[in-house]
Amino acid sequence: MTTGAPIVVESVSKRYETPSGPVPAVETVSLTVRPREFVSLLGPSGCGKSTLLAMIGGLVAADAGRILIEGTPVSGPTPSKVALVFQDPGLFPWRTALDNVGFGLELTGVAAARRREIALSLLEPMGLKGFESKYPRELSGGMRQRVAIARALALDTPILLMDEPFGALDEQTRLLMGEWLVEVRHRTQRTVVFVTHSLHEAIALSDRIAVMTARPGRIKDVVDVPLAYPRALDGPDAVALHTKLWAQIREESLRAMEGRR
Amino acid sequence: MRIWLWRLGLLLIALTLWEAVARMLNPILYVGPSQLPGALARVLATRDLPPLPGHAWLTVSEIAAAYVLAVAGGLWVGFLLGLRQTVGRIYEPLLATLYAVPSVVWYPSLMLFFGLGPASKIAFGFFLGFFPVTLAVLAGIRQVPATLVTVAVSMGAKPWTIFRKVMLPAMASTMVGGLRTGLALSVVGVLVGELLGARAGLGYVINYAYGLMMTAEYAALVVLVAAAVLLLDGAGALIEARVKQWAG
Amino acid sequence: MGGLKIAACQALSVAAILIAWEAAVRWGLLDPVFVPAPSSILQVLGVTGAEALPRLGETLLKTLLGYALAILAGVPAGLVLGSRPTAHAIAMPYVVALYGVPKILVLPWIALIFGIGLSTAVLSAAVFALFPVVVLVAAGTRDVDPALVTVATSMGASRAQIIRKVLLPTVLPSVLTAMRVAMVFALLGALIAEMLAGNRGMGFQMQRAALAFRAPELFAATAIVSVVSISVVLFLEHLNARLGRWR
Repeated sequence: MTTGAPIVVESVSKRYETPSGPVPAVETVSLTVRPREFVSLLGPSGCGKSTLLAMIGGLVAADAGRILIEGTPVSGPTPSKVALVFQDPGLFPWRTALDNVGFGLELTGVAAARRREIALSLLEPMGLKGFESKYPRELSGGMRQRVAIARALALDTPILLMDEPFGALDEQTRLLMGEWLVEVRHRTQRTVVFVTHSLHEAIALSDRIAVMTARPGRIKDVVDVPLAYPRALDGPDAVALHTKLWAQIREESLRAMEGRR
Repeated sequence: MRIWLWRLGLLLIALTLWEAVARMLNPILYVGPSQLPGALARVLATRDLPPLPGHAWLTVSEIAAAYVLAVAGGLWVGFLLGLRQTVGRIYEPLLATLYAVPSVVWYPSLMLFFGLGPASKIAFGFFLGFFPVTLAVLAGIRQVPATLVTVAVSMGAKPWTIFRKVMLPAMASTMVGGLRTGLALSVVGVLVGELLGARAGLGYVINYAYGLMMTAEYAALVVLVAAAVLLLDGAGALIEARVKQWAG
Repeated sequence: MGGLKIAACQALSVAAILIAWEAAVRWGLLDPVFVPAPSSILQVLGVTGAEALPRLGETLLKTLLGYALAILAGVPAGLVLGSRPTAHAIAMPYVVALYGVPKILVLPWIALIFGIGLSTAVLSAAVFALFPVVVLVAAGTRDVDPALVTVATSMGASRAQIIRKVLLPTVLPSVLTAMRVAMVFALLGALIAEMLAGNRGMGFQMQRAALAFRAPELFAATAIVSVVSISVVLFLEHLNARLGRWR
C-alpha cells in the first residue's frame, strides 16, 4: 500500500481565453499539501478550484508558476502518482463494473486474471460485491460513483484528486458516501485533495481546508480541522469552525454572485 | 398481444380492399394480391422474361460491392473530417450542401461515364450509401462524452488507445445506425440504377415485364424485391438493436 | 479559424478542383467524351441554360404539385397518427415499412396507368415526399409534453384551446421541418419519373443527353438542377429560421 506524497503548488496562475477577452481563473495560488493529508478546496462556484485540481492532475497547464509532486514538476497526466475522480463518474457504459475498475490496469498491461483480482478486492469493501458484472445503467448514482472511485484507487497512486465527486447525488446518499470515504481514506492513507462547495463536507472529511476567493481564485485562508474521528459535526468545535468558515465563504459567495451577469 | 391482432387486421383489410378494387378495374392494369403467387411462378418458368436467378444474383453482387465501397469511403472521409477539426470545418458544409441535391441527378452522368453495365449501378449505390455512413461517423464522434475521454487521458492513455478503447465503443450506436441506413440507400441506388438504364439485373427484369405489359408478373417481382429489401433492413435493425444493447 | 477564412478555404478548394479537372482533360488524362472540361460545360451553359428554363419550369411545376399533395395528405395523417397512441402503435410499422421500400419500384405501374407525362411525375413526387412528412409530423406530435397539457387543462382550457395554444406551437417546428425535407424528396420523385417515363422536363433531358453522349450538355444540366435545388433548400432553411425565431 502506497503512502501519500507531498504536493507543492507554487504561485500558480491560469486564465482562459473567451470571445470577450481573457478571464483569469486562478491567480498566484500557493499551497502545500503534506503526505497523507486530506485537504479540501472550498469556495463559491467559479472560483477556480476545479481548474486548480485539473492543474495538479496534469490535465491543464498553468500559465505561470509550477506544481511539484514529490519534488518533480507536473507536465502532464501522471497516472503513476495521481488519480482523479470527477463529479460525473464517467464510467464506460459498455463495460461492467469490474471492467471499468480494471481500465487503468489494462492501460499499464496488467494481465487479465490479476486485473480481476485487484478489481474484486477493491469493489468488495465498497459494498459492491455481487455487482461486479453489472453495467453502469444497472447501478444507482451512488454505486456508480463508488465504482469510479474504485477505478481511481486501482491505480494505487499516492495521490487522489476528487472534484465534487458527490455533487450529483441526493443529500442522504451524499452524507453516507462522505462517511464511507472517511473509512476508505483511513484504510488507504493516501494524500487527498478534495474540491467541494459544501462546508459540511469539508469539515467532515478534511485535515485542512483551503478557502478560495471568488474569481479570480486565490487562497484566502487555510484552516486546520483538528477534530478527532469519528467527527461529531454538532459538537462545539465543529460548530465554531463552521461559523468561522461560513463568514469567509459568505463574503466570497456574495462577490461571486455579483460578479455574474 | 392485442396490438398484433389489430395490425394483422389492418393488413387483411388492406389486402381485401386491394383485391376488391383490382377486380373492379381493368385487369391489364390492376392486379389483385390473389394473382401474385401464380404470377411469381410464371416469372420463374416463363421464357418471355429473362431468367430470374442470374439477374437477381447480379443485383445482389452489385449491392454488395456498392455497400462495401460506401462503408470504406464513408468511414475514411467521416474520420478524416471528424478527427481533424480544421479539415472538418472546411469540408463538412460542402458535404452538407451536396446532400441538398436530389441524388438521382448524378445518375445520368454516371451512366455516361460507366456505361449501362454494373459499374454505373455500383457507382450510384456507392454514392448514395456513402453519405449516411459519413454523417453517422461525424455525429458519433461529436456525441462521445468528454468525461470519458478525460478519464482515459488522466490515466495516461495514448491517443491510439483512447481511439480504440473509448471513442469507438462510445460511437458504436450512432455508427451502426449509419451503416444500416447506408445499406438501405445502397440498395435503393442499385435498384434505381437498374430501372433507369440497364441491360441486366432485377431492375432490368422489372422494366422488361412492364414494357411487355405483363402487369401481374411485374407486380409479383415488385413484391418480391420489396419483401427482400424489408427482410434485409429487418436484419439490419436486429443487429443495430444488439449493438445498442452492448454499447449502453 | 474564422468564418471568412473557412469560406476562403472552401472557395479555394472548389477552384482547385475545377482547375485540376480542366488541366486533366486538356492533358488527355480524362476523356472529354465521358468527362467534359469545365470550360466546355461553361460554353454550353449559355445555350443549354436558355433551353433549360422551360424544362426546369416543367420539373419544378411537377415538384410543387406533388409536394402540395404530399403535404395536404401527409400532415393530417401524421397529426392523427401522432396524437392517437393506439393508431400509432398499429399503423406505424406499416408506414415505416412502406417508407423503407424503394418507391421507384411502383413507378412503372404508375406510368402504365397515367401515361408518360405530367400526372405520373406529380404522383411520383407526391409518393416520394409523403412518407417523410408522415413520419416527421407523427414524431413531432408524439413529442408533445403531457405536462403542458395538464397545466392547460388545470387552468380550464377547452379542447380547442389546448389544440391551438399547446399542441400547435409544439408541433409546428416538426411540420416546418417536414415541409422542408419533403421538397427535396418531391424534386427527387419528379426527376426520377422524368428519367424513367417522361418526355419533358430536366430529368428526361438529362437522360437523353446521357444516352446520346452529349456530355457537356448533360453536365451543364446537372449543374443547373444542382444549383436550383441547393438554392431552394437554402431558401427554405432561411424561411424556417425566420419563422422559428421565437424559439
